[in-house]
Amino acid sequence: ILPMANERLRVLEEIEKEIAAILQNAGSVTSELSKEKPNERLLDRQASQFTASVQKVESELSNQIRYLTQVATGQPHEGSSYSARKDCQMALHRVDHARRKLGELARTCEQMLEPQ
Amino acid sequence: MSQQRVLPQSKETLLQSYNKRLKDDIKSVMDNFTEIIKTAKIEEETQVSRATQSEQDHYEMHVRAANIVRAGESLMKLVSDLKQFLILNDFPSVNESINQNNQQLHSLQEECDKKLIALRDEIAIDLYELEEEYYSSSYSLCDTGDLPLCEVYWNQDSLGSPEGISTPPAPRMAEPMGTGAETSTPSHPHVNGQGAAPTEHA
Repeated sequence: ILPMANERLRVLEEIEKEIAAILQNAGSVTSELSKEKPNERLLDRQASQFTASVQKVESELSNQIRYLTQVATGQPHEGSSYSARKDCQMALHRVDHARRKLGELARTCEQMLEPQ
Repeated sequence: MSQQRVLPQSKETLLQSYNKRLKDDIKSVMDNFTEIIKTAKIEEETQVSRATQSEQDHYEMHVRAANIVRAGESLMKLVSDLKQFLILNDFPSVNESINQNNQQLHSLQEECDKKLIALRDEIAIDLYELEEEYYSSSYSLCDTGDLPLCEVYWNQDSLGSPEGISTPPAPRMAEPMGTGAETSTPSHPHVNGQGAAPTEHA
């Protein structure tokens, strides 16, 4: 159970999409330039979009790196959720056991009710 | 700042390398892009013939475009490295996610146990009636009397079950103790299997 509730991981995912958008934008600018009669307004808009995306990616990534320098130590993390998981597993075993016993009980009662 | 001094050498150099990669790749993307746009400009006079110049320009643009793509891919790799580093080392968020998992598992376990206890209370009532039925019927008279509980239990298992339910002999003894002990076989948390039941009541 590890939902991507982590905010930073989500931001990193967005950065990845942004990088792909940058490349696509660059491609569209060049193909627009290559036309016979390039649309100037479109070109300007795409070029400014490109620069804006690049700036955004750079600032976001340096934010992340800065956060990491503040947070990282050399020690490995030693926490775990093993004990809670084991307790939960045992509880589920108990439920399963109870279900099986109930099943046997029900079958016994049904056998009694059958005409023999 | 004191936190950074505590960082071992490898982590600091690693983070510095991330920064360097970031700067290099962004610079490469911007530079190559601007160079492409500049090269797209058509000049009137050229030192070599138009065809050669255009051939050279074509090659140059090709190389610059490949550079942009390479820088973009290297940025992606950087992002994935950052993600990995974050998952392994970002203690606040790792602690939080561990706590979240623990809470979820704990609440699931509590719910299971609560439902089992409610089930036990309900079944105790029904079992009481079933036992009365069993002991007032003719089957209980056919039992080899005064067997210890485990023998009756195992006998019943091996012979099939025309003799009725497996738990009645126990509650007979436990009736003065209340209904709590009757259903302890299916839902008692310490019972690991059928073998423990006789040790409790025998």
